[in-house]
Amino acid sequence: MPRAVSHRKPSLLLFLLLSLHLILMASSVRGARGGSLLEDTLLTLFSPFLRSASSLTSGFASTWHRYVGLRGVEQENRRLRARVGTLTLEAREAEEARHEAERLRALLDLRDTAHPGSIAARVIARGGAGSARTLVVDRGSSAGVARQQAVITPRGAVGRVVEAAPGVAKVLSLVDPNSGVAALVQRTRVQGVLVGEGENTCRLEFVSDNAPVEVGDVVVTSGLDAIFPKGILLGVISEVGEAQGLTRYVQVRPEVDPHRLEEVLVLRSSPQGAAAEAVPPPAGDGS
Amino acid sequence: MTLWKALLGLGLAALVQMLLGQHAPSIAERCDLFAIYTVYIALTRPPRTAVVLGSVAGLLQDALTGVVLGLNGFKKTLLAYLVGTLGSLFMFNQPVPRFGMLFAAAFFDPVASLLLSLAMGQQHAFPGIGDLVVRGLTNGVLGLLTFWVAARLP
Repeated sequence: MPRAVSHRKPSLLLFLLLSLHLILMASSVRGARGGSLLEDTLLTLFSPFLRSASSLTSGFASTWHRYVGLRGVEQENRRLRARVGTLTLEAREAEEARHEAERLRALLDLRDTAHPGSIAARVIARGGAGSARTLVVDRGSSAGVARQQAVITPRGAVGRVVEAAPGVAKVLSLVDPNSGVAALVQRTRVQGVLVGEGENTCRLEFVSDNAPVEVGDVVVTSGLDAIFPKGILLGVISEVGEAQGLTRYVQVRPEVDPHRLEEVLVLRSSPQGAAAEAVPPPAGDGS
Repeated sequence: MTLWKALLGLGLAALVQMLLGQHAPSIAERCDLFAIYTVYIALTRPPRTAVVLGSVAGLLQDALTGVVLGLNGFKKTLLAYLVGTLGSLFMFNQPVPRFGMLFAAAFFDPVASLLLSLAMGQQHAFPGIGDLVVRGLTNGVLGLLTFWVAARLP
């Protein structure tokens, strides 16, 4: 080992230092009874280093604990985020269930009060390429559903049954061009036939040019078609055109939006009972 | 190695010993970084400087550990002197003799403590041989690591 140092032994220095330490030790032992000036002095001399070391140690420990805590926070954050996602999903499902319960309650109220014996059904499909002219419900002939039965909701008429299989039935909505419902204007009792226009509107046909109809008038079923009971809400007049010969164009906006239907009520018996079954479906009903 | 580097090394040894004492007491009980520092200084510094630095290291250890003030100062001063003397007589520039010196330093410490305690009429519990061997091995390994690192410092 290269040592460019003096080999003279520091005997005197060693003696002095060892003596100093012995004095220190003796002083410390005595100080156990009441305190030591030397110890205090040395502690004072070393105190800056002690404080620095202590603060460094504390800083290191604090940083370490924060780091460990941060890892814990990250894990907890991930867990809570997953929990929030689950709870959000559950809240949405609960909200959806509440809405469904409200709709079904209204449907049951309608069935129990106005149309006892009618059949509650759920819309499971909409016919046509994106249109809502026909609906498929999850109750069919096995549940008592038959052709030419009226389909309604608590808000108003939906359409009529045109096909009934054992498990499902097809409903022709009011907006289908093949649909025709005997109707009357509630305010003035003007009668006509509500025919679908294919989109979201219908028109009231056979309204004379001098009939007292206005935009905003309520249109209800007249019951003359032997399918719908009298007085069921069909829609509201949204446009009254100029006279075209003996009649005029009256547009009606249906009260029930077939695009948003989920549950309906199928009226088991029409006003004329079995007579309704005898009425042949209009052309195109089978489509 | 300049004096400030030696003092910096002492501060580092004290800091690491404190950290070990707080966060890994089982390791701290089995290694004496102040002894390693003293051996290193004694083998690499002039005898006078080594004795003074060993004395300061011992005093610092006394202040940090709260034992009788001067106890470790006495031991480290004597250790620095003995190692310096041996270093001037034999070659300690290879890992094996250095390891032997560090291992022996681990045995020197409790023996000196026992003698000093007896001289002052104090009670002293001498550690078991197994503990001493573990301390010696730990000191040896850490000491060699210290020599290796210090040789590569600028």
